[in-house]
Amino acid sequence: MTPAYPVLDSSYINGVVVAKMKLFNRREDVDYYQIEVFTEDWKPVSFATTARLLKVGYNKNKLFDVYIRFADVKKTKYICTTSKVFKGGNQETLVSSMICSKIK
Amino acid sequence: MSIKKITAVALLLSTTSAMATDSPINGTVQPKCSVYTETQGVYGHPLPNKLSTASADGGVSTSIRYDIAQADFYKAQITHPNSFSSSPTLDDVVAWTGSSVVGQVSVSGMSAYEAAKVISPSNVTTFDMTLAGSTWFTVSSTALYGYNKSLPAGSYTAIIKADCIAK
Repeated sequence: MTPAYPVLDSSYINGVVVAKMKLFNRREDVDYYQIEVFTEDWKPVSFATTARLLKVGYNKNKLFDVYIRFADVKKTKYICTTSKVFKGGNQETLVSSMICSKIK
Repeated sequence: MSIKKITAVALLLSTTSAMATDSPINGTVQPKCSVYTETQGVYGHPLPNKLSTASADGGVSTSIRYDIAQADFYKAQITHPNSFSSSPTLDDVVAWTGSSVVGQVSVSGMSAYEAAKVISPSNVTTFDMTLAGSTWFTVSSTALYGYNKSLPAGSYTAIIKADCIAK
């Protein structure tokens, strides 16, 4: 996911800022990614986006915007995407990956 | 006739001119992190009460590759399982152990990640990705059920969490 350090810009909605992000799926075994926003101590922050669950094909990328209330900007630290893995079959370990960009 | 000649010369000139033009290829390197599952882990079942990814137990350890485009922008945080994400109903406790270690590296200096890793809490290992390139991490997991109790028949799945967090 890029950029590593997103910039929060003013959006077309009053009192709401936006971060423009890009997700590139390099995992052949994953099709869906969930968007999450956290504080420094990993507490969830309210945000809005077009779809919290993104379907991104293997080796494809998707642009998405994350809208955060201006009042929450100070406490917002990480914008993350987490891979969604299927339940799995026989006696195995699955890998769930989370990539986080940091708001400085 | 003369018009045809002029046209031909004009075409030749334009072709020559096009061949002489530089065609730059532009690219930007951005700090980014990619995570791949290189080898899917499999639990072996060496004893009635044990599931283990160790090869000695008939299992396969998970191999996860981190690709870092620019040095010193990310830390890798790997969490080995302490519960099953799916299993038959279990009526006794499961004792979990595991580890995350540096395997193959694309730059020799990355071997130092192993000595510098931080384990806290006990199932979370953090590596500071100070160099650009690829690093493979081997993640193992063992589950012991009850006190020498047999694990119920069925499918067992556990999830390893591989995080890449901007510093």
